[in-house]
Amino acid sequence: MDSLAHDPPQSVAVQGLARPQLDLELRGIRKRFGGFTAVDGVSLKVEKGQFVCLLGPSGCGKTTTLRCIAGLEEPDDGGILIGGKEVTRDPPWQRDIAMMFQDFALFPHMTVAKQVGFGLEMLKKPKAEIARRVQHVLKSFEILELAERKPASLSGGQRQRVALARAMITEPRILLLDEPIGALDYSLRETVMLELKLLQQRTGISFIWVTHDQNEAFSLGDLVVVMNHARIEQQGTPEDILQRPSTAFVAGFVQGNNVFHGRVVDHSAGLLRVETAAGTFMVPSIGKAPDLGSEVSFSVRAERLTDAVTDQHPNRLSVKCTTVEYFGAVRRHIFQRRDGELLKYDQFGAQSQRIAVGQTAVLGWQVEDSVLHVGVGG
Amino acid sequence: MSTIRVRSPASYWLAFPAATWMLGVVVVPIVLLVWVSFWGGRAFSTSSPLTLDNYTKFFANPTYIKLIGSTVVHTVTLMAVTGVLGYCIAYFLVVKVKSPRWRLLLFLAFIVPFWTSTLIRAIAWVPFLGVNGVINQTLMFVGATQSPIEAFLYSRAGITMAQVSLYTMLAAGPVVYMLNSIPPQLREAAMTLKAAPFTVFRRIIFPLTLPGVVIGQVLVFLNVMSDFATVATIGGNKHALLSNLVMLFYEGSQIRAASVVAVMLMICMLVGVVVALRVVDIRRLGA
Repeated sequence: MDSLAHDPPQSVAVQGLARPQLDLELRGIRKRFGGFTAVDGVSLKVEKGQFVCLLGPSGCGKTTTLRCIAGLEEPDDGGILIGGKEVTRDPPWQRDIAMMFQDFALFPHMTVAKQVGFGLEMLKKPKAEIARRVQHVLKSFEILELAERKPASLSGGQRQRVALARAMITEPRILLLDEPIGALDYSLRETVMLELKLLQQRTGISFIWVTHDQNEAFSLGDLVVVMNHARIEQQGTPEDILQRPSTAFVAGFVQGNNVFHGRVVDHSAGLLRVETAAGTFMVPSIGKAPDLGSEVSFSVRAERLTDAVTDQHPNRLSVKCTTVEYFGAVRRHIFQRRDGELLKYDQFGAQSQRIAVGQTAVLGWQVEDSVLHVGVGG
Repeated sequence: MSTIRVRSPASYWLAFPAATWMLGVVVVPIVLLVWVSFWGGRAFSTSSPLTLDNYTKFFANPTYIKLIGSTVVHTVTLMAVTGVLGYCIAYFLVVKVKSPRWRLLLFLAFIVPFWTSTLIRAIAWVPFLGVNGVINQTLMFVGATQSPIEAFLYSRAGITMAQVSLYTMLAAGPVVYMLNSIPPQLREAAMTLKAAPFTVFRRIIFPLTLPGVVIGQVLVFLNVMSDFATVATIGGNKHALLSNLVMLFYEGSQIRAASVVAVMLMICMLVGVVVALRVVDIRRLGA
């Protein structure tokens, strides 16, 4: 088994040279439960050692996608390749993956040591090797002193470590994580996130991390995949998603965007004039310019607005401040837009001019800070 | 959880009615029974001298000793059969039947017969097992046999068949409960750790349902040991177990012998329950 996995046949090796090796490839997978479509044509390529975050609201299909990769659900349609090998119809125990469950799914009747060694036992490793590797893994996860304890007597953080050790010990090609820190105390999450990121980089195992928390996704993921209504809305680096959201959903889901919907009333020289219920704004066109009169949406990030409006800021609107919030060093002002939506404006540090609640201000932004949404797959 | 503190007057008052009842209908009769089993002489009198004669007589008769053996063998057979059948039924109901409506329907179909009394259910087997019973008619109809088989009614096999149907639910019930309390993620976690389905069952599911299995086995054990009605109805007068011997002596007004056999039966049951508790800590069930 082992030698096969490490010395692939010649033809495969040549193929592997021809294109970058993918740890995972999803080819248009679909999954329906009765009348409900949970996953609707999801395609994804994960390169070797990539950290991928599936991000989306609950019910968007991210967990079902993960379960299809694990083999816990069989897709109705489409293909799944792990390490270049077709596994779509293979059961979970024949796939080169491990999975960490949201509530950790520890076996209540097994000690930590037995639990962590379970995967190796299933691979029929010799007893001495299992004992040695369990010892090593427990030590590196700093849970050696828990070896003889059972899950019921462990704290949340300890359980999380045991679950991770249990999944990592078999050195799978891909580790699937379903909201792995959602069950932890808030204060623990940041530390655990950092540890997991370092672990992923050290081991080179691909992580596929499902979360609804964008802070997790943006601080961890090399690739962030935003899902909604069973489909992928956008995939890209955190930078791509934050700075260039490609749909109104992504822009609205990601914190700090102001989204506008409107109609194109004019276009010239790569600039669109978009009429919205909150005013008319200039937006740079991306790719082929949309037809006159067509419905478009665009967004502008809250920190790109300014209250010191000059000739540089042709996009302007006059709004009344309703709330001021503080996020660490950021002061966020919430304004009421004319169309009833809210407008967010972030100020950093100790800027001289402050806007008080109830005050009306003119806010503006530069043309190039408007980001046109070019749609799914754009 | 409770606002009533342990060992407070209120907690004693709460325990009082049940404790009185148990004292009156369980503890006192058992003490009386044990006392009577040591009575000497022949008169029904509280002034009878205490001796070991009744026990000496019991153990001097090899038929009675053999009866203890055959009762234990019969009970263990039933535990094995109802244990396997009950586990299969429980597993099927909880794991294989996905639709909640079907599960409820099957569960009802399974327990509705138990709304009638044990005695009626035992008697209901007679038309099935008899020489002209349903089983023989069917066997002759399909040509499996030319003449009716007499081995069903008034036989050990017939008793076993009837008791299996009577007690399988006792074995299945606690397993259903335990299976239901296993989160499905455990099965899935084991599968992603490279365990094939049978290994998942052997290493994860079965150990977690073991307390349920043991409780079911204890229930079957106690019921079969004390079930004289089925043995009398289906076995006719040809077959007897320890509990029938109690009846026999009692009906013959041999109150001392009846007490001795009853005490022997209780000792067998106690030993069985102690063994079961050694295997699994039943108190863990509630946790």
